[in-house]
Amino acid sequence: MAARAAWRRLVPATPWQRPRRLQHEGRPGRPDQPIQMENPYKEPPKKCVLCGINVDYKNVQLLSQFVSPHTGCIYGRHITGLCNKKQKEITKAIKRAHVFGFMPVMFKNPSFLTDPKICNIKYPE
Amino acid sequence: ALFFFFLLKPETAAVLKRTVEALMERGAVVRNLENLGERSLPYKISRHKERHRRGGYFLIDLEGPPSIVSTMMDHLGRDIDVIRRTFIKHPVSKTEECSGIIPVNYEDKLIAKK
Repeated sequence: MAARAAWRRLVPATPWQRPRRLQHEGRPGRPDQPIQMENPYKEPPKKCVLCGINVDYKNVQLLSQFVSPHTGCIYGRHITGLCNKKQKEITKAIKRAHVFGFMPVMFKNPSFLTDPKICNIKYPE
Repeated sequence: ALFFFFLLKPETAAVLKRTVEALMERGAVVRNLENLGERSLPYKISRHKERHRRGGYFLIDLEGPPSIVSTMMDHLGRDIDVIRRTFIKHPVSKTEECSGIIPVNYEDKLIAKK
């Protein structure tokens, strides 16, 4: 019991703190510490090809660029590289154009075959 | 609501007149009538026991009660000169807020779905 009383005196009253000189956080009035701010070198978010272009079921040329020339099937998101919204809009517009009789279903309109390539599809040679 | 149909040649004016009059009878307000040109159809369409290869496309911009739709589809189904008729809602175009592709954090999605 006497040993326990001696032990109490050896344990310090307050928990140990790092000396003031070596403390780095929570110290007001130190101007050369880094200021918290958003990353100023952040790049603007990447835009897909159709970002800002209005997709209409009437302009068959635009819609035909996302359709296969051999079978007429609509390319998936991994081929066209569009964002969610635009891919959905394009799909709906193409299906509408099929029904309304603007765009052929089983193939791509031959006059649009020489359009610039947007989708990164590789045809087997 | 938009309304769109295509039909065959020479009596185009008469057909259009008939259609617009029918629309106005049912109480629709015709805002605009556009001619999208006459071209060969993308696929042969058979309608009223005839196979059509060419047609003129017309787009009518109109406002009216939704009860017109079924009656008009009926009415135009009986018209020989109309090959295909469709009604669509007026497309609301709002493309200025496209903020680009935001990278999705798949890890968070997986873990957070408890």
